[in-house]
Amino acid sequence: MSSERVSRRVFLSASLAAGGGLLLGYSISSDSVVNKVLAASNPKNSSTATDIPLNAWIRITPNDEVTLISSQSEMGQGIMTTLPAVLAEELGADWSRVKVEISTVAPAYRNPRINWQFTGNSESTTSFFELMRTMGASAREMLIAAAAKRWGVSAEDCYADNGRIIHRPTRQILRFGDVAEDAARTPPPKDPKLKTEGEWKLLGKSLSRVELASKLNGTAIFGIDFTVPGLVHAAVMQSPVHGGTVSNFDKESVAKLPGVIDVVPIPNGVAVVARQYWQARQALKSLNVTFAGGPNSEISSETLDKQYRAAIDGNSWKTVKTEGDGHRAEDMKGKFAEVYSQEYESQFLAHATMEPMNCTAHVTDDGCTIWGPLQGPELAKLAVSGMFKLPPEKVTINRTLLGGGFGRRLLVDFVVQAALVSKAVGKPVKVVWSREEDMQHDVYRPATLNRITAALDKIGKPLALAHKVVSPSILQFVYAPAVTEDNDPSCLEGLMETHYEIPGQRVDFKLLRIGVPTSVLRTTGYGPNIFAVESFIDELAFKAKQDPYNFRRGLLKDERSLKVLETLAEKSDWKKKPPKGVARGLAYTEAFRTHIAHVVELSVKDILVKIHHITCVIDCGVALDPEICKNSIEGGTVWGLGVAFKSNISFKDGRTVETNFHDFQIPLMHETPPIEVHIINSGTKGMGGTGEVGPITLVPAVANAIFAATGKRYRSLPLSRHGLSLADTNHERKKHKASDV
Amino acid sequence: MKDVTFILNGQSTKVEVDPDKPLLWVLREDLGLTGTKYGCGMAICGCCTVHLDGDAIRSCVTPISRVQGKRVTTIEGLSSDLSHPVQRAWMQVQVPQCGYCQPGQMMSAACLLAQNPKPNDTYIAEAMSGNLCRCGTYQRVRKAIHLAASLAAEKRVAE
Repeated sequence: MSSERVSRRVFLSASLAAGGGLLLGYSISSDSVVNKVLAASNPKNSSTATDIPLNAWIRITPNDEVTLISSQSEMGQGIMTTLPAVLAEELGADWSRVKVEISTVAPAYRNPRINWQFTGNSESTTSFFELMRTMGASAREMLIAAAAKRWGVSAEDCYADNGRIIHRPTRQILRFGDVAEDAARTPPPKDPKLKTEGEWKLLGKSLSRVELASKLNGTAIFGIDFTVPGLVHAAVMQSPVHGGTVSNFDKESVAKLPGVIDVVPIPNGVAVVARQYWQARQALKSLNVTFAGGPNSEISSETLDKQYRAAIDGNSWKTVKTEGDGHRAEDMKGKFAEVYSQEYESQFLAHATMEPMNCTAHVTDDGCTIWGPLQGPELAKLAVSGMFKLPPEKVTINRTLLGGGFGRRLLVDFVVQAALVSKAVGKPVKVVWSREEDMQHDVYRPATLNRITAALDKIGKPLALAHKVVSPSILQFVYAPAVTEDNDPSCLEGLMETHYEIPGQRVDFKLLRIGVPTSVLRTTGYGPNIFAVESFIDELAFKAKQDPYNFRRGLLKDERSLKVLETLAEKSDWKKKPPKGVARGLAYTEAFRTHIAHVVELSVKDILVKIHHITCVIDCGVALDPEICKNSIEGGTVWGLGVAFKSNISFKDGRTVETNFHDFQIPLMHETPPIEVHIINSGTKGMGGTGEVGPITLVPAVANAIFAATGKRYRSLPLSRHGLSLADTNHERKKHKASDV
Repeated sequence: MKDVTFILNGQSTKVEVDPDKPLLWVLREDLGLTGTKYGCGMAICGCCTVHLDGDAIRSCVTPISRVQGKRVTTIEGLSSDLSHPVQRAWMQVQVPQCGYCQPGQMMSAACLLAQNPKPNDTYIAEAMSGNLCRCGTYQRVRKAIHLAASLAAEKRVAE
């Protein structure tokens, strides 16, 4: 994402367009630069009279309860633990006693980099780290100042530890709660002193997730579990053809069915409202409704393929990068010892969060309250206030836990639906999508077509690369200001800032307009582009008759890149020959400011690919919570296996073909090999994200390993289209069978 | 509408509902137990796994009429104080990410361990092949099942 400021007007209209064709001319008052520290020092979110806010992030009660605020949405990435731990570290709080609360929507909780409240782009840690440190340290110094004043001693002689202020010379102790009220009246320090990495007690250690217990006994509240008194339930059906509309529906066809309250039009569809969700689902099946397909009715995977093909073979390009000679591929011929070109294709994907889209809304005469699993709470607020012409302060957004996000919940189409239905029936309503609705009305990861052409010298060393990329927009519905008529920076991720030292580089881009909705999905542009680049680099290594590791090493100078690659070679035993029949593939990149590399060990028998072992090395600066970080990389690696082998969205007659997990497949336990993750600590100066990087290098590492095993190069995904499947990874099963013989 | 009586987490329970209504939705909206999750509605994803007379079943495709007179255990009934070996192991291995599928994973695991106290990876893979995890926590699930097996064995020795 670029750092340009967000235009609220563009943001809103684009987002509602995604949510079903509404375009509202709404804008809020001009967005003055928010002084985060000032705003943070004047909170209005104190939940009880005795809860004393020291700033927008920290509240302490006289009886010593410390509440820390999480601005970021918890969707499994552990951010609700990690960022509050940064606050607690600087504050000197007793971690075992802190409570964590999810914030409201307020300027204080915006991502300071783009001044906008959202959770995504793998940037919660990188963007909030310094702010959390500063807020924690500031509150600590206020508590110390209050204690020192009470004792009549110098603040210099006091320190905070484990929820207490200690006067070093006399060992006198005051608890945080004893001085919280005085501290709240102390002006926040201008430049609070931050702790050094060596002083950390919580960060860099593995803490138990704050919500872990609730996820083990069924008490965790996801959006789908949320309830309020008087709640009614809605099941929705949207036009099966993307962009289609409802022609008509017959309310009477379901009016007498059990529990039915009403049938309400929503953008592009209808909602059946009933006393219980099961009743609403059942009634929806009987509803007499017809749709008009609209302009996209003819779209299919085949028509889309033709559109991509025409674009890549066409002449309509925006040149987004030239370095050195920056040759066009067409101009390389005759100028170099050899010119080599290949195409790579990544598929459409669904997010398929385990918790389907849902949202609860209550619209009253007075305003609107939303409760839901949201990555984009500020966008939700803007959309609802715009739609109902309500002042923003009349719209309250509350977040539950998210049963997966992966970018899908940055959009607010399902929030708009809940608000509209609640308004129509005058009751609090929870809208829950069926899995089929969720799969067929996702906003998909766009397919991407890459063509890379290399100019090589006599020994196969690349002297110039020309890269052509064809992709529909990624950011259009979540960060419209960054998207222009012919450019979307997210589609170019991984190509603009490569670490490979190749003197001539050129990137040409074609932003494709297609009739199916596309948006951000875990890995965004990095996924497809790095699949192409890391497959191609591997091809060049083979052409140059060099080991893929040595070949990459020869092209890299960056210290962190080399360290990650060398550590990977060591941990994966790259330099030792793999066992007979087993082959290895590797891939490296920097993405979301994290350096990552994978080695995949596999064997291929006919159409079955058995993954034996996966090694991954990352450098994300400092892993603030190593176990959460490892879990995320392990999971991202599994996600990558799905992208490489199985998951695929296709289209026919303007509709999404896949409907549920039987035809949109994700990896299973028996297909998951042992995954080993190693973390390099390179310091807090270069912090990177870990939520999305896992799949990025895994996918090309798989393709490269299959090439090493079979000599066959697969350049389009998923591999199932070439007839390949993941085999059972289970070693014991094999042994078992062998002993039977 | 029909009366259905069954034992839910050790308590005798009676509901008056449409006999075709799936157990999942009866648990979630008639009995207020939301730990059991809706994921696919087709018995593919395993998020809705509960025990019926000790067997792991998919409650999203189980009509309530089928549980008449039977014992149903949900995640809430595994133990509320996290003392069940599966919960302890899940805690120690820090299995969950988003956590949405984990009640189902844990119920499948608990059923496996009740029937096979020391399963190898083959048995684990077979028992867990119907539980999807979009966050990809399978490696930790597998590890936690092995740990739960040894925690349960220790408990049996102690008793």
